[in-house]
Amino acid sequence: MSAIIENVDKIFNVSLIYATFRSATPIIFAALCAALTQQANILNIGTEGIMLVGSFTAVGVSYLTGNWVIGVLAAMISGAFIASIMAVGHIKYNAEICAIGMGINMLALAVTKLLLNVIFKTNGTFSDPKIVPIPKVHFAFMDDIPVLNQLLNNWSITEWLAIVLILVLQFLFYKTVWGLRLRAVGQFAMAAQTAGIKVTQIKYQAMIASGLMGGLAGAHLSLGYSTQFVENMTNNRGFMGVAAMYFGGANPILTALGCLLFGFADSVGARLQAYGIPSQFVLMMPYIVTIVILAISMYVKYRNNKRKESSLLAPKAQLKTQG
Amino acid sequence: MSEYVVEMKDIQKSFGSVKAVKNGFFTAKKGEIHSLIGENGAGKSTMMKLLFGMYPIDEGEILINGNNTDKLTPKIAIDHGIGMVHQEFMLVGELTVLENIILGFEPQKGLKIDFDAAKKEVKKYIEQYHMDIQLEKKVNQISVGEAQRVEIIKTLMRGAEIIILDEPTAVLTPQEAQHLFKILMNLKKDHKTIVFISHKLNEVMNISDRISVMRQGQYIDTVEKGNTSPLELTKLMIGREVFLNIDKTYSKAGKTVLEVEDVWIPSQKETSKIRGMSFHVNEGEIVGVAGIDGNGQSELVEAIIGLREVEKGSIKLSGKNIANKKTRAIRKSGLSVIPEDRNTQGLNREMSIADNLAAVEMDRVPYSKGFMIRQEAIVQNAKEKVEAFDIRPDDYNLPTSSLSGGNAQKVVVAREVSMDNKLLIAAQPTRGVDIGAIESIRNSLEKAKKEGTAVLLVSAELEEIISLSDRIIVIHEGKITGEMPADEANENNLGLLMMGGTHE
Repeated sequence: MSAIIENVDKIFNVSLIYATFRSATPIIFAALCAALTQQANILNIGTEGIMLVGSFTAVGVSYLTGNWVIGVLAAMISGAFIASIMAVGHIKYNAEICAIGMGINMLALAVTKLLLNVIFKTNGTFSDPKIVPIPKVHFAFMDDIPVLNQLLNNWSITEWLAIVLILVLQFLFYKTVWGLRLRAVGQFAMAAQTAGIKVTQIKYQAMIASGLMGGLAGAHLSLGYSTQFVENMTNNRGFMGVAAMYFGGANPILTALGCLLFGFADSVGARLQAYGIPSQFVLMMPYIVTIVILAISMYVKYRNNKRKESSLLAPKAQLKTQG
Repeated sequence: MSEYVVEMKDIQKSFGSVKAVKNGFFTAKKGEIHSLIGENGAGKSTMMKLLFGMYPIDEGEILINGNNTDKLTPKIAIDHGIGMVHQEFMLVGELTVLENIILGFEPQKGLKIDFDAAKKEVKKYIEQYHMDIQLEKKVNQISVGEAQRVEIIKTLMRGAEIIILDEPTAVLTPQEAQHLFKILMNLKKDHKTIVFISHKLNEVMNISDRISVMRQGQYIDTVEKGNTSPLELTKLMIGREVFLNIDKTYSKAGKTVLEVEDVWIPSQKETSKIRGMSFHVNEGEIVGVAGIDGNGQSELVEAIIGLREVEKGSIKLSGKNIANKKTRAIRKSGLSVIPEDRNTQGLNREMSIADNLAAVEMDRVPYSKGFMIRQEAIVQNAKEKVEAFDIRPDDYNLPTSSLSGGNAQKVVVAREVSMDNKLLIAAQPTRGVDIGAIESIRNSLEKAKKEGTAVLLVSAELEEIISLSDRIIVIHEGKITGEMPADEANENNLGLLMMGGTHE
């Protein structure tokens, strides 16, 4: 314990900011994947599986073609493919989305393991110099400014893209026609339908967009965050994304803030490990944070609701009365 | 071209094994207000939902402006100039009024929705028809009357020439209904065609040009308003004459059974919160609670029966405080309930009529002994009740989901009034029930009262409140705005109190 106190400045320093963001990014992509369908009132519990398939596809295609762009695109397409299987099952055949999602998660784990074996003749981990990673963005002028260098230099392209996508989805959901329709479908499908909106079409679109995003999440994890594929490398980041999405009520910016909390827990944990905190405890951190975040956000929601519903507090606006 | 803008001929429509519409027929002329009347379950709403393309027709043809349309969908119907204001509003509560109005055909500027252009367009209609609407508010913060006007604007914005309103006045006060009728008359002046679905004959006689009648899914007749009378329409609607006036006995009120003192009850909606309400119900009297839907009636009932928290105050049943007690305990101390939604609260729809009839006392003799259920007792009870309350069909093994609204409600009423409890809460006991069943349900309430039960009747139907109650309390936004003996009450003075006005 004393080691931690002595080294507190080494644990909490400027580089922690980027470390936090860096470990949050894969979860941000996953959370955006979940938010896209959540707006249509579909809980995409399959985020984890979609992401894992994306990770595998990205590494495999990058290895085979020597081109990271094709790898990323292939990952997105594979994500969309998986999502459309879920969409057909849920929307057309009315299957319970959580059951399909969990099925997809188990399938993804098994299929990637199998293909790793069949195509790359290996178990556990696949890394190879021929895998081309997503390049990092280097600003030469920052090299001499330590703070900027630590904060903003050498980000992977997809890390910048995550920020762009948060803003794009924010705009998409709340300012565009598609977003308005998507939210209407999610909140009261019958009303949307009678307004002449094709509800199933919107739901399919949301699922496929979510699949593209989930594939991208996986590609970032295996080609941007690292340069390898490891069995079950998503390691519950998909579920954390879903948790963060709940925390942010499917609002992209709030959702991303939730993801940063995970990132923070993760990177602080990693640093603490160096100072004698047991690794098992460190590994528990993100999950504890998940539970705490969900518990807090549910409690806050419950309390706000209760306050809003209370008859004892005076109404905010003067009620209209007439005689 | 024919003189009709809408022609529906030989329409057939079934849902599963239920024939909702057989030989349906309907026509509408340009610029008329055409009422479609019939009992609940007569197929009025179904006919109009078919016209709006919400379900496909099984057989028959629909012509709009002389064009044959098969495979109607809401989108195609809208393109043909048809708009519909549904009984349950098709508005998304979390979106603003403006967003709801433009949903489905949003004006765009670049990638964004052009809210300014939309607002300008909507304001034109607001002014033209003198509708009072706040565009920036979220829909779940506006009143029912306002929401209905939003629905009408929605149809106009979509270029509707034919506007269908499905029982629009069911949720309005008499005064709000008058406001609606003014809007409808203005629309008629602009040569819009209005289809008005209702079962309130005085309204129909008030605003219609022509009236079509349906009964049991069949077309009966179409008459000019000038050539008919409410009496004739009643006969057409139900195929016989009915007298809904039950002979009321004014009883001398006995001991106080239910005593509500300064209760405060939370609610999701601001206008439904109960803020300091006190009243009592005595043995052998019916106290009617009048009010527009959503002014706290449901919350009050839920609090009394233990389904909602009471934040302050006391509710006493025969002197015993029951506020914040469990429903089961409250029921044991002498409470019967006819809940406002029989399908979700009154019945288990998958279980049989017999099981539902015994449900509340299933854990007591004679229905069970120890941990064993006694099937013979349940069957015996079912046989008696099915006959006494004329529940049809009389096969008590059928699940209650196969019953019509009226018969399903009779199952609830039969169970609740037969328990001889001290207090009976009847919330919207005849909502969505046909006239025959209404008669029988009202008689059951009257009988319970004569036997000394204290009855609290909550209803949106003023006529029901006035004809059944001994005393009436009127609530508005969670407060009592007036109380009077039933023989002093009429639609006008109650309507005024329901709007939040004061007594004299």
